[in-house]
Amino acid sequence: MPDAQSTKHNEHAKKRNYRPLVSTKALQKTMGRYYAITNYHRYWGKPLRRPLAWVTSGAPVELLRAFKIHSAYPEQYAAIYSARQATVSLCEVAETAGYSQDLCSYARSNIGGVLRPDLAPLGGMPKPDLLVACNNICGTVLKWYEVLARHFNVPLLVLDTPFLTGELTPQAKEYVLEQLNAMAVDLEKITGRKLNQQSLAEQMRRSAEITSLWKETRQYCQASPSPLNAPDLFIHMAPIVVLRGSQEGINYYRKLEAEVKERVKLGQGAVNNERIRLVWDNIAIWPQLFSFYKLFAEKGACFVTDTYSGGWAADHAPGTPMESLAATYTEVFLNRSPEYRANQLINQIRDYKAHGFVMHSNRSCKPYSLVQEVIRRKVMRETGVPGLMIEADMADPRAYAEEPVRNRVQAFLETFDDLT
Amino acid sequence: MTKIDTHSDPNELLDLLLEESTLKGAERFHRYPERKFFGYFCSYFPEELILAAGLDPLRLFPDSENSTPAELPAYSCSLARGTLDMEIREQWQDLVGIGFTHTCDTMQCLSGIWAASGHSKTIDIVPPVMLTAQGASRYYQSELNNLIKELTALTQQDITQQALQDALLLCAHTRNLVTELDTLRPNLPSPLVFAILRAGQLMPRADYVKALEQCLPALKDMAVTPHTRAKLLITSAVLENDSLFTMIEDLGGRVVADDTCSGYRHYSGHTLTESGDPLSDIIKRYSGMPSCPCKNRSLNERISYLSGLAKQRDAQGAIIVIRKYCEPHAWDAVTLAETFRNNGIRTLTLELEGANVGGQERTRLQAFIESLSEAPELSKEG
Repeated sequence: MPDAQSTKHNEHAKKRNYRPLVSTKALQKTMGRYYAITNYHRYWGKPLRRPLAWVTSGAPVELLRAFKIHSAYPEQYAAIYSARQATVSLCEVAETAGYSQDLCSYARSNIGGVLRPDLAPLGGMPKPDLLVACNNICGTVLKWYEVLARHFNVPLLVLDTPFLTGELTPQAKEYVLEQLNAMAVDLEKITGRKLNQQSLAEQMRRSAEITSLWKETRQYCQASPSPLNAPDLFIHMAPIVVLRGSQEGINYYRKLEAEVKERVKLGQGAVNNERIRLVWDNIAIWPQLFSFYKLFAEKGACFVTDTYSGGWAADHAPGTPMESLAATYTEVFLNRSPEYRANQLINQIRDYKAHGFVMHSNRSCKPYSLVQEVIRRKVMRETGVPGLMIEADMADPRAYAEEPVRNRVQAFLETFDDLT
Repeated sequence: MTKIDTHSDPNELLDLLLEESTLKGAERFHRYPERKFFGYFCSYFPEELILAAGLDPLRLFPDSENSTPAELPAYSCSLARGTLDMEIREQWQDLVGIGFTHTCDTMQCLSGIWAASGHSKTIDIVPPVMLTAQGASRYYQSELNNLIKELTALTQQDITQQALQDALLLCAHTRNLVTELDTLRPNLPSPLVFAILRAGQLMPRADYVKALEQCLPALKDMAVTPHTRAKLLITSAVLENDSLFTMIEDLGGRVVADDTCSGYRHYSGHTLTESGDPLSDIIKRYSGMPSCPCKNRSLNERISYLSGLAKQRDAQGAIIVIRKYCEPHAWDAVTLAETFRNNGIRTLTLELEGANVGGQERTRLQAFIESLSEAPELSKEG
C-alpha cells in the first residue's frame, strides 16, 4: 500500500528473484499527486469549501466524495510510517502519553504522529475538519477515532455495521441504511452542500469500476506462473483504498491490468522459476516487506493471492446507491464469521491452485487474527494443503522475531521439496 | 448448603453468597440439580430473556488466568483464554447453551472460535454499538426478537409475555437490592460487597434475591461504623475474584464507587417495568445503563459519568485497571486518567494479567493509597 516503497521495491526486485512492474512509475505519479493534494489541503480546502476527513479504510467514502469531501487515511499513513521505519519512535510517543503497547500499532503511530508531527514521514497528516469511522473492520477504530475527536475537537461520524454471524439480515441492512441517511444529513450541515443523488450515483459507478479492475487484475494471478506476488499486491492496492470512486484511480488500474495481462500472455511470472504457490492471510508485515517475502521468493515461492488486498475486490451489492453502500460496507470479510472467512480462503486456494497458505498472526489486529487458528484447521482439513502461522505485527517491528520466523518459514518451505 | 427461606439465619445466608462468589458456579451441578443454567459473558447479554426462557443466567469466569488453549493466540485476554480452555476441557457441558454478545473484538472472535471448537450450543446477539444512532432501537428490538426465537428453539418452550414481564420484574428487583447495597458500600469492606455482587451472576437468580433480601438488614447494621480509609473509585473490565479489592482494603483503602463489568456496572441503570412492552423496557435499560467502553452513547458520556460518580461518592483517588490485552478499557484509560487528574482526583493505572494481584501491584497500590491518606483534602484542592 505505501507508494513511498515502490522505488525501493523495484530496486530490491532486481536483486531478489522477482520481476518489477513498469506500472510502478504510474503508481508513484498517481499517489504522489494524491499526497501532495492531501498535504496542501490547508491551502485549497477552505477556499473551495472542501473539508478534509480522516476516514477508516472501511468507511463509505463514496458518500463523502459526493459531498466533495477530501479523504485521508490514517491507516494508510501508518503503513507508510512503518515502511519508512518511523513506527517505533511514533509509537513510543503514544506510549509515553499512556497508550498501551498492546493497542493497534497503526493507531499508536498515528497518535504519535499527531502529537509529534516532526517525527512523522510526510510531516504527518494534515489536520482534519471531521472524522468518519466505520466499525466494519474492528472495534478499535471507534476508540481510536474518539481519541482523535477529543484531540482535534471536530465532528466524529460513526457508521455502526453490525457484525454478521451469518448472512446480512434485513434488520442489520435497514439499521445501516438509516445511519447512512442520517450521516448524509450531518454531512449536509458540515459542508453546507445538499446531497446530490446523481453525484453519488456517479461515485458509485466509478467505485464499482475501479473495484472490477482490481478484481480482474488479481484474477490474472490464477495463471501459472503468477504475474504478481504479495508485495506487488500490497503496494499496488494503495489507489483502491484512497482513490476509490475517482477517475485517477480508474486510469491507474487500467494501466496495471494491461501490464499484468501482458505478463500472463508472455508467461512471465512475478517470481522467477515459480515452484510453490501460496495464499497470504492478514495485513502485510510492512516493516519487513522485502526481507520477509524474500525468504519465499528465493525458494521459488510466490504468494499468488491474499485475503487482505482482496478485501477491496468485493463486488458492490445491488440496490440504490445508499442500499448498495449499506450492504457492501456491512458485508466486508472482516465483519464476518470464521466460517465465512475459512470458505473464502478455501475458494482462493482452489481457484488459484495454491499449494499452501501462510497466516500472519498480527498482534495489532484482533478481528483478523484471533480466529485464524480455527480457520487454519478447517482450511487444511478441507483442502489438504498445509498452512503456516507466523506471529508478527503489521507495523511495529518490535514484535518481529527474525530468527524464529526464518526457521519456521524454512521448515514450511521444505515440505514442498517434492514440487519442481 | 444453607436452605434459603424466611427463617434462614442472615449470617448463614451471607456466608452462602460469599461461598457462591468464590465457587464461581463450579458446584452448580450438585447444589442446584433441578436448575438449568445458560452461560453468558457480557453484561450486555439481556439476562431477562434467559430468565424468561426458564433458565438461570451463569456468568462464565475462568478458573485460571494462565490457560493457553491452542485456538487463541497468547495476545488474547486471560478471560477469553481461560473460559475457552474450560470449554475444551468440557467444564461447561451441563449448560443449556452459551450466549455471546458483540461487545469487544475478542468476544466477537471468541463466539466464532467457540462454535468451531467447543461442545456447547452457542447463541449470538449483536446489539448496536452506537446506542443512540438513527435506527438503533428498532434494530435492537429485531435482535431481541431473534434471540427469543433462538432461546425458544433451544428450550423447546415458548417465551410468553407474562414470562418476560416476570423476568423483567425479577431483574428490576435484583438491581434495586444491589443498588441499596451499593449505597452502603462506603461503610462496608470492599471485598465483601464485590463478592456479593458477583454471587448474583453465579447462582439461581430467585435464590440470590431471597438471600440478599434477608442479608440486607444485617449489612445495614454492619455499615454504621464510620471510617477514615482512603476513598477510591475503581473502573475495570471483568474481575473474577476479590484479590484486588482485598488488597485495597488491606492497605487502608475503600472502594466507594465500582465501575467494573462484574461489579456494580452489571446492575446499574434504570429498569423500566410498566410500559406494557417488556422488550421496549429491556432495550431502554441496556441502552441507557452506564456504558462499557465498547459502546457509545455520545463522545464523552462515559468519561463524564465516571467523573460525576467520583464526585458524588467523594472519591479521593481512582484506580483504572487495564486487563492485559483488553483494548477498549486501555483506550479509555488515557482520557479517563487525564479527566480525573484535572478534577483533582489522583489516579493510578494498573495493568493486570488476570484478576489476581501480587507483590508488584501491592507496592504500587500501597504508595498510591498512602499518598491519598497524606492528602485527604486533595479532591477539594483540585
